[in-house]
Amino acid sequence: MSQRPDMAVKVGGVELANPVLAASGTFGYGREYSPYLEPGALGGLVTKGVSLRPREGNPPPRIVETACGMLNAIGLANVGLEEFLKNKLPWLAEQPGAVVVNLYGESIEEFAELAKALGAAKGVDALELNVSCPNVKEGGMAFGCHPGAVGQVTAAAVAEAGDTPVWVKLTPNVTDLAPMAEAAAQAGARAVSLINTLMGMAIDARTRRPVLANVVGGLSGPAIKPVGLRMVWQVARAMKARHPEVDVVGLGGIMSGIDAAEYLIAGAGAVQVGTASFTEPGAAGRIAGELAEFCAQQGVARAGELTGSLHT
Amino acid sequence: MSASLKAKVLGNRPVGPQVHLMTLAAPAIAAKARPGQFVMLRVSPGPEPLLARPFSIHGVEGESLLVLYQVVGKGTGLLKEVAQGQELTMWGPLGRGFELGGDDPLLVAGGMGIAPLAFAAESLEQKGASFRAMFGIGSREAFTAWDAVSGDGDCYLEHWDWAAASEDGSLGREGLVTALLAEALDRRTGPVLACGPLPMLKAVARLCDEHGVPCQVSLEAPMACGVGACLGCAIPAKAGGYLRACQEGPVMDAALVDWGRI
Ligand SMILES: Cc1cc2nc3c(=O)[nH]c(=O)nc-3n(C[C@H](O)[C@H](O)[C@H](O)COP(=O)(O)OP(=O)(O)OC[C@H]3O[C@@H](n4cnc5c(N)ncnc54)[C@H](O)[C@@H]3O)c2cc1C
Ligand SMILES: Cc1cc2nc3c(=O)[nH]c(=O)nc-3n(C[C@H](O)[C@H](O)[C@H](O)COP(=O)(O)O)c2cc1C
Ligand code: FES
Repeated sequence: MSQRPDMAVKVGGVELANPVLAASGTFGYGREYSPYLEPGALGGLVTKGVSLRPREGNPPPRIVETACGMLNAIGLANVGLEEFLKNKLPWLAEQPGAVVVNLYGESIEEFAELAKALGAAKGVDALELNVSCPNVKEGGMAFGCHPGAVGQVTAAAVAEAGDTPVWVKLTPNVTDLAPMAEAAAQAGARAVSLINTLMGMAIDARTRRPVLANVVGGLSGPAIKPVGLRMVWQVARAMKARHPEVDVVGLGGIMSGIDAAEYLIAGAGAVQVGTASFTEPGAAGRIAGELAEFCAQQGVARAGELTGSLHT
Repeated sequence: MSASLKAKVLGNRPVGPQVHLMTLAAPAIAAKARPGQFVMLRVSPGPEPLLARPFSIHGVEGESLLVLYQVVGKGTGLLKEVAQGQELTMWGPLGRGFELGGDDPLLVAGGMGIAPLAFAAESLEQKGASFRAMFGIGSREAFTAWDAVSGDGDCYLEHWDWAAASEDGSLGREGLVTALLAEALDRRTGPVLACGPLPMLKAVARLCDEHGVPCQVSLEAPMACGVGACLGCAIPAKAGGYLRACQEGPVMDAALVDWGRI
């Protein structure tokens, strides 16, 4: 009979008890989900994107269900840096599991300022730069679509973050993701997370109006998994060849332990679970359990063995 | 604390045109449920439809939970086909419910707004508190749904002090429930608890504001998580910004809502 597999991994400069994290924007600040998960069930979580000042977000409707997925245009509503440090982080810091703080700036200076404050804060294990939000006018995806800008933002954050590792969350809404990952890696990112949501829209044919007040939104959920897998595979290959020290964190449509395993096999060192948490609040914990079970069944002794193990 | 569980469907029967009553075994949720709170219910285990649907808690019977729902689309269409014995993923109880203090509250229900208000009425009855109720409906035919909905088949309307307005005049006054409310407010009433379609809630909030009567409304918004994490369920706030229907609501003080932006 197979032994219990060793699920611990080290990814993007962070020790994780298992390779499953909760994804930014789908898990609040963690506490919202505490009734539904066993403490320590996850490798960690990524917070909702934090900006310097609080943001109200977009007018409703902000979300709509689509075939095997959903669109959102939240507009990075969040409590802001000060409130996050004062009232959200202290609780998070006491929980088992890594705390990755997703952050968002409207300028390179704002990214740097956020990286400085959050990098110095106790209980933050890594920063994840959101250069890929499709739902805000300023900054956001604009940074993520030009390798030069990705490099500048990353370098500025790395310079201010001290010892805290910097991850960069990449947008799939580009023709070629590899140059963005390359720019992040060259600027000192320890990991790249992909994918963020795919730009989409929904129309009500009867009223001939867009369903979302923002007209366009980001597509997430099982519908995007094939795209995420393809991009993780491409970026992981590029990183392995040129920046083996940079890890890939894979996400997009993960609903089960098998889905998570597929991302690892494609080249991810860890995965994030997003929309699945909306379909069942304990989903991320269930997925971590299923992944361990899959490893045991497959005779995989260490979860890390799966990473990049695709036979082509 | 809220719980997530696989709830066994104990019953699922039509109680009126396009209106069904589902009974689910959910001890951990039933034990905590307060009137005005809701649950998130997944109508199918697969990826389609992906998201859970929010439903008010219509009542609690021992360890089971009642959900009164109207078939309006894909999810509720599938829900009505769910057979007894099947298990559905459900989490709750969620959100902020009604505050039931205050003298002689007036419950104003439009259409499916009866779902949470029947639970509120039941709690008031148990406390021995007096209250009145007003219903707004399309026609008498639709109303037959509601007098059969209490789980044991007992017609709860028999011991309520109630009035109705129907759009076609087939039951009670012809017209809208807000006309009845306006008259009641002119006389004097206790705090108003309202649930129903948005235009009705807007009118109710305005009338109560004009009469200086406190008003709690149960609001709807598209929801993904139900637990305050996705920020999808934004309700424009009078003070600026947004409130989360699933967290600061679904029951809110009508004075906190920016009705002009909703
Ligand atoms: C807190 C809360 C409590 C609710 N309680 C009840 C209840 O007790 N009984 C009941 O019958 N319904 C209730 N609803 C509404 C119920 O959630 C929707 O009717 C249901 O989600 C529709 O799902 P569907 O897949 O059948 O419709 P869809 O196919 O998703 O949509 C069909 C139509 O319904 C509209 N719709 C979809 N979701 C909502 C929503 N959340 N609010 C308003 N309109 C919507 C769509 O715009 C569309 O026109 C509640 C909603 C909320 C937010
Ligand atoms: C409602 C919602 C809010 C999100 N907010 C953020 C955010 O603040 N920052 C970020 O980097 N990604 C955000 N995302 C993107 C997710 O983290 C994730 O990249 C995407 O949803 C794909 O994964 P999934 O299919 O598992 O959900 C959000 C996604 C959703 C659905
Ligand atoms: S439904 Fe997700 S925050 Fe309200």
